[in-house]
Amino acid sequence: MKRLCNFYPLLFSLCLQLPASFSANAQDSARKSLLVDLSYHSLNNAVVYLSVHAKTKEKGKFVPVGGARFHLYLDKDSAACFAGDALTDTKGAAITFLPPSLQHQWNSAATHTFIAVSGDEGAFNPSRTEASVVKAHLEIDTGQGRTIIAKIVELKNGEWVPVKAVEIKVAIRRSGSDLAVSDKDSYTTDSTGTISAEFHRDGIPGDKNGLLTLVAKVEDNDSYGNLRVEKSEPWGAVLKLADTFDKRSLWAARFKTPIWLLFMEYSIFLSVWSVVIYLVFQIIKIIKAGRLA
Amino acid sequence: MENSIDNNAITHDLLPMRFGRWGKIWTFILLLFCAVGAYAYFLQLKNGLVVTDMGDYVSWGIYISNFVFFVAISLVGSLITAVLRLANVHWSTPLTRIAEIIAVSAIIFASLIIIVDMGRPERFLSLLLHGRLQSPIIWDVIVISTYFVLSLLLLYFPLLPDLKILIRVNANSSSRLNKLYRLLGSFWKGNPEQVRLSEKAINIMCITIIPVAFCIHTVTSWLFATTYRPGWDSTNFGGYFISGAFLVGAGAVVVAMFVFRKAYHLEKYITELHFDKMGKVLVMLALLYLYFNINEYLVPAFKMRKPESAHLLDLFAGEFAPLFWFAILVGMLIPIGILLFKKGRKPLPMFVVGVMVVVGAWFKRYLIVTPTLLHPFLPMQDVPEKYHHYFPSWQEWAITMGSLAGTLLVITFLARIFPIIPIQETITEQHEKAV
Amino acid sequence: MNQENNSRREFLLSGLTAAALAAGCSPKKNPFDEYAGNEVKPTGEMVKLLSVDGEVIEMDKAFLKPVPDLPHVSNSEERKGMEGKKFVMVIDLSRCKNVGACKKACNHAHQLNPGQNWIKILEMQEAVHTAPYWEPTTCMHCDEPPCVKVCPVDATFKRQDGIVLIDSDRCIGCRFCMAACPYSSRVFNWEEPILEKEVAAQPYSCETSMPQKKGTVSKCDFCPDMARMGELPHCVSACPNGVFAFGDINEDSVTNGAETWRFSDLIRDKAGYRLMEDLGTKPSVYYLPPANRTFPFESGLEKDSTGAVTPAK
Repeated sequence: MKRLCNFYPLLFSLCLQLPASFSANAQDSARKSLLVDLSYHSLNNAVVYLSVHAKTKEKGKFVPVGGARFHLYLDKDSAACFAGDALTDTKGAAITFLPPSLQHQWNSAATHTFIAVSGDEGAFNPSRTEASVVKAHLEIDTGQGRTIIAKIVELKNGEWVPVKAVEIKVAIRRSGSDLAVSDKDSYTTDSTGTISAEFHRDGIPGDKNGLLTLVAKVEDNDSYGNLRVEKSEPWGAVLKLADTFDKRSLWAARFKTPIWLLFMEYSIFLSVWSVVIYLVFQIIKIIKAGRLA
Repeated sequence: MENSIDNNAITHDLLPMRFGRWGKIWTFILLLFCAVGAYAYFLQLKNGLVVTDMGDYVSWGIYISNFVFFVAISLVGSLITAVLRLANVHWSTPLTRIAEIIAVSAIIFASLIIIVDMGRPERFLSLLLHGRLQSPIIWDVIVISTYFVLSLLLLYFPLLPDLKILIRVNANSSSRLNKLYRLLGSFWKGNPEQVRLSEKAINIMCITIIPVAFCIHTVTSWLFATTYRPGWDSTNFGGYFISGAFLVGAGAVVVAMFVFRKAYHLEKYITELHFDKMGKVLVMLALLYLYFNINEYLVPAFKMRKPESAHLLDLFAGEFAPLFWFAILVGMLIPIGILLFKKGRKPLPMFVVGVMVVVGAWFKRYLIVTPTLLHPFLPMQDVPEKYHHYFPSWQEWAITMGSLAGTLLVITFLARIFPIIPIQETITEQHEKAV
Repeated sequence: MNQENNSRREFLLSGLTAAALAAGCSPKKNPFDEYAGNEVKPTGEMVKLLSVDGEVIEMDKAFLKPVPDLPHVSNSEERKGMEGKKFVMVIDLSRCKNVGACKKACNHAHQLNPGQNWIKILEMQEAVHTAPYWEPTTCMHCDEPPCVKVCPVDATFKRQDGIVLIDSDRCIGCRFCMAACPYSSRVFNWEEPILEKEVAAQPYSCETSMPQKKGTVSKCDFCPDMARMGELPHCVSACPNGVFAFGDINEDSVTNGAETWRFSDLIRDKAGYRLMEDLGTKPSVYYLPPANRTFPFESGLEKDSTGAVTPAK
């Protein structure tokens, strides 16, 4: 009880102070700045999206900013080049896709710049972030003896040309993360834009048919952004689920008591309670015997 | 005739009597304790178990040790009534009703105190609707209910002849008590057929109740022995608890014997011989319990395994040492010492010994529950400082005292309405002796 | 580190990848593979997007959300758990510096009261000459859980994905499970828990373990609500030193957000072990020994954890 009483007035006074601090900030120029991360992502050489990540520095630590609104543009921040709106969630992240309306503009060049603009509202200074990208394709294939070959090509003068010295990571897709196929963290492409990675994860479980999803990805490349491509291969061990759930055991649910325990309990219970019922019948007999006499 | 005078005299001596001044004061004090306990429980229901001093480490406190204590005492019914009866011991006949009344009363309050300990008592029915047969608590619920029913029956059957006497004696009054007697036993005529049926039933009950009594206290001991904790992880627990139960039950009967004897002037029926015999029984049980205690403490102390060593050192020489040695001395050693001598088996010393045994047993149960919980495998860190110790709060004491008072109240009430010594059996035995 | 970004990306990709693979074929098909994202149901409402090669492709609206709208999980489904998964956690004792961010994040995410720490960071030193180290303990989610064995009303249960949860709508508060647990993982709501009003008004969910109720038990739950969304438990994401790694034994992979390891290799190479193995509880939490500690033990002594820290004897 005591704790509750102290908590709510504190919370209430905090709530009163927050908007005050906002308006105070709006007046003086010492508003916080938004630190924005804008990145380009390409998935399987098909889907394209932009990811916006907003954070700010508070007491020396980075804190994600939720509810920040961004307008995204392609090449120029004019209405014709409007690519979409993004509102960051509680973790400060938002994504947006390219609308079909920009098709012409997108196809007109190999290099583009994305612009993310945040407005003058809220507690933060307006911001403008740019990220430029060169269109690129990342291809994945498998070679002899369980090697994975990845190749990156960029669009140059209307042609796809291989790129040298790009870092590519090769991994197996797991739920929630990617597991590198070997101890090597990343591979650098040679003059043909290719890398070859050896698969060192023998015996790793795949799905129930032994299928693994191999992943090649380029992460945070200055020119190409983030590229990711996947391929399924039956290189995994067949996933055999240990069928221990819902078996009769001491830790199972109510109707899964081990048989030996059920047997013991029921035999003791029934033998004792049959005696009790017998005794109750004896009482009835005694009552009857009393009437006869 | 000589016989009929004897009968009437016996009957007159053993009839339940109205409360005198002391009886009323006694009842009033008990009611007071119950009321305070009820108020403390109301506070507990309102605010939660935070009113106790229990914490995340000592998550079981004196409610649980009280529960074990009650279950232990309730075994006396099977000991005195069943075991001695089957062994064809006759001197114990006057004590059978006292024993059964104590047993019934204790088992009722065992169930009540366990409900008090629950964090969400309103979900009590979940035990029936969602019960898991793998859980020792469910086993405990089943055996305690079974033992309760059997104890009631074992109280009821031998009561039938006495009910006839009570009805006859109160034939003219139409008080509520008389109505109760008639409801319970007016069909009893005492004819040979009824006697035969009743005797057979009582025999069967006596045979059945012994394994059930063993079950309840073994299963209660398994509430502790099925865990890994030092001090509880012992294969010895079943026998340890049962021998302790017989001891404390016998001690309780001795106390009750003395009190009823004094209060109702039953010196002719509960004689010095009874005290002498009970004294010998008590010594035997105390020695048996001592044996189990030695097994329980000496064997792990020889090994001093890591988690056990801190726990045992605490008991022998640390925080709990005074309580531990008190329980051993007062609960076992001194009683043995006193009772080995004929002079020690006189009524008054026996009464003192009985009280010592019961009090020592209560603290022993506390020592079984709490010290173990203060020695978990992983160090007690990242928790409020208060969790590092345990001393019961006033609400816990109040509720515990209330439950003990409640037990005594039920005993007092049953002794008020039923003859504390079986009248008919006493008459029968006196006749058999004369023949 | 871009830990949060990565985990968001990975989830998002599950839906998008499948859609991307299907792009050009049949965008209404839902070819999800089994490992992730198979809980997001397509709404049937299609949205047109631009592809890398400048083509217009269609995708179901449901896949576009970074945090998906997952269907409500019923109590019986919560008791069954996620199929095909068996969660496991690896705690690297050589990295723990008693920062306490894990405790803070967990306590905040589950709105625990002061003094209720599901994660306890223990100061350990087994013997005089052995290494002192910081050991964070969570619920071990044992494969043969002593707590589940003793629960009389099925209020705590083991699921097929290995997680042991508590149903606070069923718990009778007998605290037998607390006595049975050798790892002291469970805490009890001795009084009415202090909760935000919106949280207190919601019905109880076993997977979020919220809202907590007076007179019932609670413990670390491996954040199954996060796992359903493809995210890591709060403690894993919060730790700045990457002490916690979480994953699925059926995938043989654990990740702390930034790094991912093959679980069997990690345990074998770094000699991982489980606590109190000899008790036979078969815990799901593995520890990597505090060899080659990245921080001196003393650097954690400056931190004041919640409540008094009893120095190791």
